[in-house]
Order: sequence, then C-alpha cells, then structure tokens
Amino acid sequence: MADENGSNLRQFREGILDNNPVLVQLLGMCPVLAVTNSLENALVMGAAATFVVVMSNLITSLLRHLIKPHVRILIFTLTIATFVTIADMALKAYMFEVSKKLGAFVPLIIVNCMIICRAEVVAIKNGVGRSLADAFGIGIGFTVALAILGVIRELMGSGTLTLPWGAQSWVLFQLSEGFEPHKWIVMVLPPGAFLTLGVVVGITNQIRARRKQGGAA
Amino acid sequence: MSIGALIGIFLGVALVNNLVLAGFLGICPFLGVSRKVDMAFGMGCAVTFVITVSGVVTWLIVHGLLAPIGSAIFGPEHAGALFFLKYVAFIMVIASMVQLVEMYLRKFFPPLYTAFGVFLPLITTNCAILGTCLYIDMKPETQYLLNAAVYAFGGGIGFTLAITIMAGIREHIRFSDVPKAFQGAGITLLVAGILALAFSGFAGIGK
Repeated sequence: MADENGSNLRQFREGILDNNPVLVQLLGMCPVLAVTNSLENALVMGAAATFVVVMSNLITSLLRHLIKPHVRILIFTLTIATFVTIADMALKAYMFEVSKKLGAFVPLIIVNCMIICRAEVVAIKNGVGRSLADAFGIGIGFTVALAILGVIRELMGSGTLTLPWGAQSWVLFQLSEGFEPHKWIVMVLPPGAFLTLGVVVGITNQIRARRKQGGAA
Repeated sequence: MSIGALIGIFLGVALVNNLVLAGFLGICPFLGVSRKVDMAFGMGCAVTFVITVSGVVTWLIVHGLLAPIGSAIFGPEHAGALFFLKYVAFIMVIASMVQLVEMYLRKFFPPLYTAFGVFLPLITTNCAILGTCLYIDMKPETQYLLNAAVYAFGGGIGFTLAITIMAGIREHIRFSDVPKAFQGAGITLLVAGILALAFSGFAGIGK
C-alpha cells in the first residue's frame, strides 16, 4: 500500500515538473496562448481546466471496465463536454466578467488535447486513486505554466498584476504613472503570446538538458 | 445581404482575425503538421472542408433544432432553454464529419491518408473547428446561414494560409543553425510570433 502511495505521489509530481503538459509535452496550447494576457484570466482558465481534467479522469477511471475500446474516444469527449458545460455555467454565474473575457476558450476546453490525453494514457488503465493523482498533477502543472506566461505578459504588456477575487478582480501590483510610456503593448497582443511561449519553452529545454547532464555526470 | 458584406466577413476571418495567428485556434496541427508544405496544404484542405460543413450543420442545429424545440416546449420567451446542449451537439457533429473525411481519404487518397497518420482523427480535437462553430454561434453578423457558411469557409482558408506559410518557413529553418534549446517547438513558436506580427498589419482592413 505504501508503494502504491509513493507511485501516486510521483505521478502527481511528474505532471507538474518532468511531464508538464504545456512546457514539456506541448499539449493544449491554444488556451495557453490565448488567455495568458493577464494573470487573472490565466488562473481562472487553469482552475476550470483542472476541474474538468479531474472529473473526466474520475469518471473514465470508474467506467474503465465498461467502456468498449472502439467507442472510448467518443465517451471521453462526451464526458469532457458535460463537465465543460458545468464549468462554463458556473463561471457565467459567479465570475461573469472573467468568463466574458475568456469567451470561447472555456467551451474550447472540450477539445484540449491535454485532457483527452490523460483519459487515454492514464485513466482508462488505472484505478481511481492513481487517475486522480495524475489529474491533479497535470491540472496544477497546466495552471503553473499558464501563470508563468500570464505574469510575464501582463507585467510587460499592461504593467499590472491582477488576481481573480470573486466577481471582481483584485489588483495585486501596478506600475507607477511614469512607466506608462514604457508599456510593451505587443506582449498582450497575439505576437507577444507566441514570442513569450517560444522563449519560455526554450528556457525549459535548457534547464532540462542541464539537469540531465548533471544527473549523468 | 450584399455581396460586399460577405467579402468583408471572408477577409475579416481569413486575414485580419486569422484563426491561428490572431485567434490562437488550431495551434496543435499548426506546430505538428507544418514540417512539409504539401502535407500542410493537405491538412489545410481537410480542415477547410470539415470547418465549412460543421459550421453550416451546427448553425442548422442551433437555429433549426435547439431554438424551435426549446420555444415549443418552454414557450417563445425561453427559446434558449435547450442551449446547454450546444457543446455536446457541436462536438458530435465535428466528430462525425471527421470520420467522413477519414473514410473518403482512405478510399480515394491512400498516400495522403497514411501521411497524416494520427493527425487526421485529431482534427476532431482541433480547436479551430469547434472554435469557429462557437464564434458563428456568438457573433451577430453570422445570424444568416449564408454568412455563417462564408465565415466558416474563410476561417478554413485562413488556417490553410497560415499553416502553409509556416511549413514553407520551416523547410528553410531545417538548414539553419538554431541553438539547441530552441530547436523544434521553441523556434517554431518564435517564427509564429513574427508571422503574427506580420498578420497584425492587416488590422484595420474591413471593420
């Protein structure tokens, strides 16, 4: 049993670090690029995706003996679509402003390959405990990656940092007035998203190569 | 509806609000299938077909099925009562369209079918398609069927344009000396950033 727990913990940690869905596996990139123009949007998106991946892994893992192999993708997609509908309604009810800013990207969680990948790779083959550990790891890893991009882009592009706080946002940090002309607006526009993610992925690769080298030596 | 408005919709979604470079939709195939120009173009054509058909069918589902049935059951003031079924209905339509394209390609273009490999079924989870269907559902200018069809087709053409340009650039990058950490996804994203910068020059056309 202790061994089981150990492997669950490892599965959880792998999702955040070595197997980060965004920075290492490059899955589910669309929301990563689209909603990271502010930290607030990034965190809400991360939370919604985490909820969906946890619930979809839970249901898939519970049903894994009943699902026939040739209809599995359809079952995954329908499960995910159901929970995305729930998440979308909840966001519209409790965080209307943010949900308006996220727009189509909340329903687009349905086609986030990261989530379907977890159902296919882990949940269909493993028990509930392991699937949940994996889902939480992947969800948090996704949120962390979004938050990194969100901080960089919002700080450089609009000079602020905002956190989601119930129905409104809470400004954590704001550059003083004199810095207004130094805002780098391209960072909150589409090109900034691609450039930031490219640089962050490059840095991640560099760190991983370094660590691998260190481990081998 | 004038022809000018339709052209405006088409150019708007194909160039100004390009699905990939301004709307961040369909990034996975944009990064995954953009190594060779001919494959990228084939992928673009498949996506254009699926997008156009799905756009029209989902428009019909919302306006011809969910809205009338909702107002028939709950009264005209609650016509949107069944709209919570939208997402599930959309994804079912897209999945069956992709199945159709897959069967067609396997029968008539076997080499293309094998070249696509796993990316063909993955069109189902291509957010460009679901995203376009959702935008058609949200935007006021696509409340007529013809506009919706033009919007969807324009989106597909924009996707094809972006992925083909990208593949053309990547064929050249193969021969250049990229730092090790940036090889693969890193440099592709940086190139996409510069492309997006170029496409933002279209902003202001139309509208």
